[in-house]
Amino acid sequence: MSRLGIFVDRRTLSSSDQLTSLIRCRDAAEEMGHSVEFIFPVDIRKIPQMDALFIRARTDPMNITYVASRMAAFAGIPVIDDPESIQVCSDKVNMYMHLARAGVAIPRTLFLSKGDIHPSRVRDIMDDLGTPLVLKEPSTSFSLRVERVEDPAAFIRVARRYLKMSDWVVAQEYVQSTYDWRIGVLRGRFLYACKYIIPSQTFKIQDSVNGHVVYCAVESVPPDAVPAPIRDLGVAAGKAIGDGLYGVDIKDGKEPKVIEVNDNPSLEGGEDGSYPHVYREIVHALLET
Amino acid sequence: MNGVSPGIATPAEQQGGVPAAAVNRRGFHLARDRVYTVRYGGYTTFVSENYSYKSETYYAILARELAGEAVAPDTQSMLDAFVVPVCLERAGHCGIPVAAYTIMHSCAPAPAIVYGLNYFASTSHFEVLTGDARDREKVRHVTNGGKYPCCSQPISPDMAVTRAVSVFGKVLSPVPGMQEMAGSVWECFRIPLVELVCLSGPGGPVLSSLCPVRYSRLQPAERRLLKACIFGQVFL
Repeated sequence: MSRLGIFVDRRTLSSSDQLTSLIRCRDAAEEMGHSVEFIFPVDIRKIPQMDALFIRARTDPMNITYVASRMAAFAGIPVIDDPESIQVCSDKVNMYMHLARAGVAIPRTLFLSKGDIHPSRVRDIMDDLGTPLVLKEPSTSFSLRVERVEDPAAFIRVARRYLKMSDWVVAQEYVQSTYDWRIGVLRGRFLYACKYIIPSQTFKIQDSVNGHVVYCAVESVPPDAVPAPIRDLGVAAGKAIGDGLYGVDIKDGKEPKVIEVNDNPSLEGGEDGSYPHVYREIVHALLET
Repeated sequence: MNGVSPGIATPAEQQGGVPAAAVNRRGFHLARDRVYTVRYGGYTTFVSENYSYKSETYYAILARELAGEAVAPDTQSMLDAFVVPVCLERAGHCGIPVAAYTIMHSCAPAPAIVYGLNYFASTSHFEVLTGDARDREKVRHVTNGGKYPCCSQPISPDMAVTRAVSVFGKVLSPVPGMQEMAGSVWECFRIPLVELVCLSGPGGPVLSSLCPVRYSRLQPAERRLLKACIFGQVFL
């Protein structure tokens, strides 16, 4: 019997769905004969006593999840998400650099710094990438700090706002779609697939519209209904990042393109509805390989 | 703007790395926000006053790393150095004496030094709890009203907070043990310009945190040392 630590943070644990998902994970590990301990930030010293660590909290190199992940790495115990995956996936510049280096298809993308944000340069960028285009602050998550801009004035206004948070920002070709594929990848292998149906009021999977938060619908897709090019692209994107657990978002079209790779992918929205053994596979990867 | 691969491009001035200032000994001065590169020990070493996450320096180093170039510091060292518990764990693994610490959400027993652990925290902004009425407010400040955790390090009565600027692992501080500490931190993190915050007592200093250093805060002797390092004089 091994001990699995599940790292959680009360600050980012905010719904009954998330709690239910954590309990499903614990149950899966216990059914496999392992013991499970939930670890909160104040318990971080317990990490070296575990045999593996599974982080289920919003990751970022600047928050406590990175501390937990590095603690596990220093102790030499398997961890999902590992520090390198947190570092890469939390920063869209880093993530797109990894994807591009591996030859994974992504929308046309530019990294911009302060010196690029002036009218003539912005007009050139909009001519190059087309309009509308999408601006992203690199550490965006849950579609926060992602905006579609239609004209140079909006571009400059949004970019200047994002440049207060990062010295580089991402400008990207806009790819229209009514849904995104989410391909779950674990240790370089396909794990699950679902569709995020984008709400009609927005172009993002989650947004605030007139003061109301709108969420995408989630539709789990069985393995035999996942097109091979989507599945292969998802796996290739996961491998381009590392050897952990990833949720790869893909825009379908004439040529599918990876929009982003998420570490710590959500599993509480029904993403794994057609894949009842996802948590077993994660526990197996952490404790039994 | 030059492409690094099809479909992706970076700011033009970053493409060849950070614009290393024209290093001209005559009239040379350390310019604000400027990054200097020095070839040292097989590494391209980046001298910067801002090694923070998502800074120009961070992205310049990242681009070089992904191109396969040997760089110092690497981006993981930059992240590790300025998140206090990670810094201490890594330093401890490198054999450096480090302060004891705990992660807390609210009150920490005084006397102690406390650092915020959140997206907006900087190691330059720590609080020293002395056991008086202002402690609660100080903790509220670093935890953003209890929203985020903090890293608390107890200070024993015979300890004092001491600071020293390390330039390529060399310090001008007279504090006993600080030179050895700076050398070890340099070997461990490879950050050429960094401030050591230590808790110093009869047993010598223990590392409390690492902080970035503005060129404008350097003492004249430190500035001369840094310039000499940039020109390669110290390594001869």
